[in-house]
Amino acid sequence: MDSRIMIVDDEEMIREAAEMLFQAEGIALITASSGKECLDYLESGFRGVILMDIMMPEMDGWDTIRQIVEKGLYEGNVIVMLTAMDAPDEKMEGLQEYVTDYITKPFYIQSLLDSIRYYLSLLQAEGDGA
Amino acid sequence: MIGVSTGGPIALKRLFADLPPLNAAFVIVLHIPPGMDYRIARSLSAVTAMPVALAEDGGYLRRGHIYLAPGGFHLKLEGNSRIILEEGPRVNFVQPSADVAMKSLLKPLKRGRIIGVILTGMGKDGAEGIRHIKALGGMTIAQDQKSSAIYGMPKAASETGAVDFVFPLDKISRKLVELLSNCESTVPCND
Repeated sequence: MDSRIMIVDDEEMIREAAEMLFQAEGIALITASSGKECLDYLESGFRGVILMDIMMPEMDGWDTIRQIVEKGLYEGNVIVMLTAMDAPDEKMEGLQEYVTDYITKPFYIQSLLDSIRYYLSLLQAEGDGA
Repeated sequence: MIGVSTGGPIALKRLFADLPPLNAAFVIVLHIPPGMDYRIARSLSAVTAMPVALAEDGGYLRRGHIYLAPGGFHLKLEGNSRIILEEGPRVNFVQPSADVAMKSLLKPLKRGRIIGVILTGMGKDGAEGIRHIKALGGMTIAQDQKSSAIYGMPKAASETGAVDFVFPLDKISRKLVELLSNCESTVPCND
């Protein structure tokens, strides 16, 4: 199945849990363990919904988004922060336009899936060429 | 006029899904880049009976229509009714900025009425705009913390002391229906 969802998280447990959760829903998921890996996938042509952690070593979620925008890789994606941070820090300033949603862990699975489906539908409309 | 940022697409979808066609022009300033704006407009179209369009430079607001500020420009209203799209530096780190749009509003004529709403989002964009709308004699509403994905902009708006109501999203819809059933328009229109 052509995956249009990517989770970017340095914690292996989170990535595995997400894979199981999405697999149960019949949704394929790409996992990236760092901002660098996320950028690699985007450079290889991934477009879809990106679930981005904030606190990651080396390049955090904000730095990763900044790179996505600077490298011209944003178009065709929706970025959703999926984080344990209750509220974003000031590093988000200037990135508001590129952060479509902010979901804090723990979250309701159904609500996350509903949101992702909606964001996929936003991107789908473009693919339809309407 | 509605100012909103992160968490906005879903919040707007819920808000407008609950609104019947109303005798008001709605202007939405959502922090989005070009390329995302028309997708949001299309998704709103799918849930509301009111026509939704990206705001166009030089266009006039019409009652019963929803206008989304496009990405990459600031939106202003001339005479509370004519749309002006301007390039220029970011304000509050964003473009379009809700402060820029709201602060372009003028005191409405006696039959007109302005309602300013600030929904979920990071930062403080819209707070000065809300203060301005209140000073013009308008009505102001901010989303509550619980229903906000990020309680930044609504909090900053509330902290100005110029917010009349702090409500969860569903109650904002109900309040808009109540307010707009007794008035001519959120902004005076030419049609």
